[in-house]
Amino acid sequence: MSLEIDRVTKRYGATLALDAIEFAVPAGQIFGFLGANGAGKTTTMRICLGVIPADSGEIRWGSRPALDLPRRIWGYLPEERGLYPRLTVLDQLVYFASLYGENPHEARREARNWLARFRISELEGRRAEELSKGNQQKVQFIAAILHEPEILLMDEPFTGLDPVNVGLLKEAFDELRERGRTIIFSTHQMELAEALCESVAIIDRGRVVAGGSVRSLKQAAGRRTARLAFDDAGGAAWLEGLVGVSVIRFGADYTDVQLADDADPPAVLRQILSRGAPVTRFELREPTLEALFIDLVGRPAEEPAETLAP
Amino acid sequence: MSARRDSLLPNAAIVARHEYLDRVRSTLFVVSTLILMVLAVALALAPIAFSYVSRTQPVTIGVVSADEALRGEAVGTVDRILNPEATGDATVITSRGYIVEGMADRQAAERALQRGVAGGVVVIDRASGGQLRVTFRTNDPGNGVLNQLISFAAVAVGILDWSRNLPPESQLGAFLTPDYSIEGTNVIGEGGGPVSPEQAAGRSLLGIVFVFLLSMTVAIYGMWVATSIAVEKSSRVMELMVSAASPRQMLIGKVVGVGAAGLTQYVAIAVPAMIVLAFQEPVGDALLGPGWAAEGTTVAGLTPALLAGYGLFFLLGFVLFALIYAAIGAYVSRPDDLQTMSLPLSLVALAGYVPALLVLGGRDASWIRTASFLPPFSPFVMLARIMVGRATAVEIALSVAILIAGIVVVARATIRIYTAGVVLYGQRPSLRAFIAAARRPQ
Repeated sequence: MSLEIDRVTKRYGATLALDAIEFAVPAGQIFGFLGANGAGKTTTMRICLGVIPADSGEIRWGSRPALDLPRRIWGYLPEERGLYPRLTVLDQLVYFASLYGENPHEARREARNWLARFRISELEGRRAEELSKGNQQKVQFIAAILHEPEILLMDEPFTGLDPVNVGLLKEAFDELRERGRTIIFSTHQMELAEALCESVAIIDRGRVVAGGSVRSLKQAAGRRTARLAFDDAGGAAWLEGLVGVSVIRFGADYTDVQLADDADPPAVLRQILSRGAPVTRFELREPTLEALFIDLVGRPAEEPAETLAP
Repeated sequence: MSARRDSLLPNAAIVARHEYLDRVRSTLFVVSTLILMVLAVALALAPIAFSYVSRTQPVTIGVVSADEALRGEAVGTVDRILNPEATGDATVITSRGYIVEGMADRQAAERALQRGVAGGVVVIDRASGGQLRVTFRTNDPGNGVLNQLISFAAVAVGILDWSRNLPPESQLGAFLTPDYSIEGTNVIGEGGGPVSPEQAAGRSLLGIVFVFLLSMTVAIYGMWVATSIAVEKSSRVMELMVSAASPRQMLIGKVVGVGAAGLTQYVAIAVPAMIVLAFQEPVGDALLGPGWAAEGTTVAGLTPALLAGYGLFFLLGFVLFALIYAAIGAYVSRPDDLQTMSLPLSLVALAGYVPALLVLGGRDASWIRTASFLPPFSPFVMLARIMVGRATAVEIALSVAILIAGIVVVARATIRIYTAGVVLYGQRPSLRAFIAAARRPQ
């Protein structure tokens, strides 16, 4: 079983927001939907939910069209955070769960469990307008999962969270995966996607430019990098002069270099040692997701795409 | 891809319950209800106060007759009966309660009556057989006390006229009681026949109250609906909501929930006022003595059928306007923007209110009759026509049918606008962009 996005196209006037995008999300996985702002991630999620219609194409969960699925199959955390300002946290959560068909008493009990998990039990009687943005975000996350949806769509769930709350959210993701939920989240924070996702799709200007398991994408990239560290504080600019080596980044404690396709790593190491450099580390590394993204899209994910997709 | 189809229930009911509780639990709701309750009770007591005040203001009664001698005699007679302690004068007599004024020109008297300068005009003609015909034309046909006194005066004028015209040596002819009648200037009927003056006056008053209440309800509670949607959009919670409920469920839930909250406030305001109205006469009698007010100032004329008519048009009118307001709420991006939209919205409600008042004032032009079938005017105008008994059952049924059809059309349009508003939230779209969004397949 998987969620299949099958040649979905969406146009806003003259702007092509989605251009026959196609990818599949295996059930029970955490899936990263990667792209810059305006790439078409939110539009895709809204089409999945039936909030807006696609011009063509279809979305299926197994063999069933997405629009035939009951709403409670889905959990959704929109990018634009919002709660009822004057409603208390607990009432808010119970209200949303009720709309998904949950028994209010059950929903109240489960909401309290999740509030405790996120260390905000004391806020259950507070109005949403009294909460910090981070806490509002946690409440919204709980609202999205309280009815135990099979598929979770989360639009930039980590944006605006401090490291502690990012950690709490990652734990929640892991737990939901263990419960068999399928989690699709969009982000432009590549290190988070790399840490959490088994599979990803990279979207740019309404087109899927790459998709599949993170491992297969890295292997397909054919890029090799090496991380080098030296036992002195001297510069490593001389590395640029070596055959088959180009420096990616000079770090404080290490330097990342890219090896040419025909470069032999042991030969590169020998070259370095022959210069008398006190090498303490020589580690061959796969390309990062961020590097892959830049390779595929031509710019970092933080830079917005040029389409006008909402 | 076709749109998702969700049944209306239970989500519309859940949304309605949420909207209802959100409102009735708010401090603003409780405080405003209490204030309005006090105002309504004060309004219900107003007729007693007006009656008290009007007692200190003399009312002019004109006496019209082509026969100068008869006119002078009638002025004195009417004055002595209306103002028992006054002394007579041939032309104009001023006293505490009534000014009785002789008028030779019938048309001038009618104009004074129309302008409200005169409270009534007693018209005295002589028939070919010598019998007097006395007609009391009045804007206040429900004032039973005044009518009765004028009828006494008519008999007295007849006796004086009879005795004055007897030849000194002739045999007494039969005394002919004057033919006396009252003509109300605002005629009200029911089922083709007239109703009593008291009921007519009561209905006119109730008609004004009902039409006013409907327009107020539409403006206030319609604004609640619009604000509720605008707040949802501005707080960004709408996108979270639309994944849980369909726009149709949300919209109908909102209209029902806010409408129920409005109805709660309405009942809380109306019940004490109705109780005061029910006890208005004994209270007035105790404070001002018997006959303190015309019967028309009470709830005389209010029948279950009229109440049902009011309830029906109130409900349908509210739903229609709530949907229109909902569309506006979905269009704007922030609650603040509603302030700029409130005037044109109020004008829409006023467009029905004004012709309804014309109906209650006695107008029955063809354009007014047409308006009584056309939403959004029909809830006001047809209600007014019902109140003054100028609508047949077929006309009422036709008006209701057109109104329901109008509600269906407006509801569909509003759901599209609402759905488009969901997608365009956080933006301030041009009207063109909004229409384009609303026209996209849902």
